[in-house]
Amino acid sequence: MKVGYYPGCTLKGKAKSLDETTRHAVELLGSSLTEIEDWTCCGATTPLSETRIANLIAQTRLLAKTRDAGYDAIVTTCPFCFSTLRRANLTLQNDEIKRKRMNTYLAEDRRLRDYEDPPPDWIDYEGETPVLHMLEWFRDTIGFEYIARSCGKSLSGLKVAPFYGCQLLRPADELALCDPEDPHIFEDFLNALGADVLNFPARIDCCGSYLSVARPQAALRAGHRILEAANKLGADAVVVTCPLCFYNLDEFQPKMQEQYPEFHNIPILYFTQLLALALGASPDTLGLESHTVDPTELVRRVHESIPREVTA
Amino acid sequence: MEILSPIERREAARRLTELSKQNIALCLQCGKCTSGCPFAVDMDLMPHQLVHLAQLGAIAELIRCESIWYCATCFTCESRCPVEIDIAALAEAIRLIAHGELDERFGPDSISDEVARNAPQQALVSLYRKFAK
Repeated sequence: MKVGYYPGCTLKGKAKSLDETTRHAVELLGSSLTEIEDWTCCGATTPLSETRIANLIAQTRLLAKTRDAGYDAIVTTCPFCFSTLRRANLTLQNDEIKRKRMNTYLAEDRRLRDYEDPPPDWIDYEGETPVLHMLEWFRDTIGFEYIARSCGKSLSGLKVAPFYGCQLLRPADELALCDPEDPHIFEDFLNALGADVLNFPARIDCCGSYLSVARPQAALRAGHRILEAANKLGADAVVVTCPLCFYNLDEFQPKMQEQYPEFHNIPILYFTQLLALALGASPDTLGLESHTVDPTELVRRVHESIPREVTA
Repeated sequence: MEILSPIERREAARRLTELSKQNIALCLQCGKCTSGCPFAVDMDLMPHQLVHLAQLGAIAELIRCESIWYCATCFTCESRCPVEIDIAALAEAIRLIAHGELDERFGPDSISDEVARNAPQQALVSLYRKFAK
């Protein structure tokens, strides 16, 4: 199965380290992922009303492009991309009117693109290209056992709190990644890296999402509550898959310190940074300089304790 | 604030049901949505109250509340509702009607340049898709 890698806008902007460590880790695993050429924005959110369906155009366009480029599936690390693309497929499969409207619009849009050198006719997209999250791809294509063998317990002793956030899990009837109240795919992944995975009660909570921009005080409270829970457990780091969770939990820690004097900082890491580290990547390839809460000391300590035969 | 007649309120309830595609009539006011909502503490109307007011067609109150601008669309409410109502979808429908009836609640000037430059792209795209007209 030929899978197309879709980084999305944020991974090429604010969250470059997530993109780069994903590629690096895939390489270290001896596999490869091809980035979809000339990809466009996924639209980030799913329209929840019956009238704003124009917000499905971005998803349809991107998924059709993936199909036309010869890929059998699309894989992404950003949960917003994952959620909206997976849900778009379901809408296009089940809602005949929306499917017709999206395809009619995009067919017309294609015709208007270039009169002098007309692109090939639009082929109706009906939700046929499966959407995968990177955790699924790691589990099903690479295999957690293979990852475990490649890592060789490198991260043993490192106490991590896995943070799923919301877009990866809910709405569960559409995303069907894991049980929304008791998921385990992230824990299984971190176990494969040999890390000491904590039973983190705040793991499925919401970090505040876009409210950190619109209602910062509310998001700060939500983020603080999550990190307090991690601190109480004695976590060395909180691990995330989402660039917005990362931003909300990492970048606002100085503000949390101001508002909540008892609060102490905790490093936030992307799951692919940990994976690359576990596979022996050097700490200066992990993009740690972009973090607000500096994880360098923790990461170096872990890197130095990794058995020599694993390091690249 | 205008007073709606019973017929207008019934119409408003029907409009919210159709627009959100949620069967709000099924709500039995169990309160699980409100218990799970991470931002209920910041809201003036609780999520379960939004549903009840929607059943009553109290559209004038709904479009003026603060709650709908505190929804992070995390779907915790949807996940826990025993009758499978997506309260976040209802909040979105109310926001859409609010856009049509009231002055702009959220627009390009609502965030500073500094925040716009610093925030992750997904935050800006999702925020404006959810909150802007």
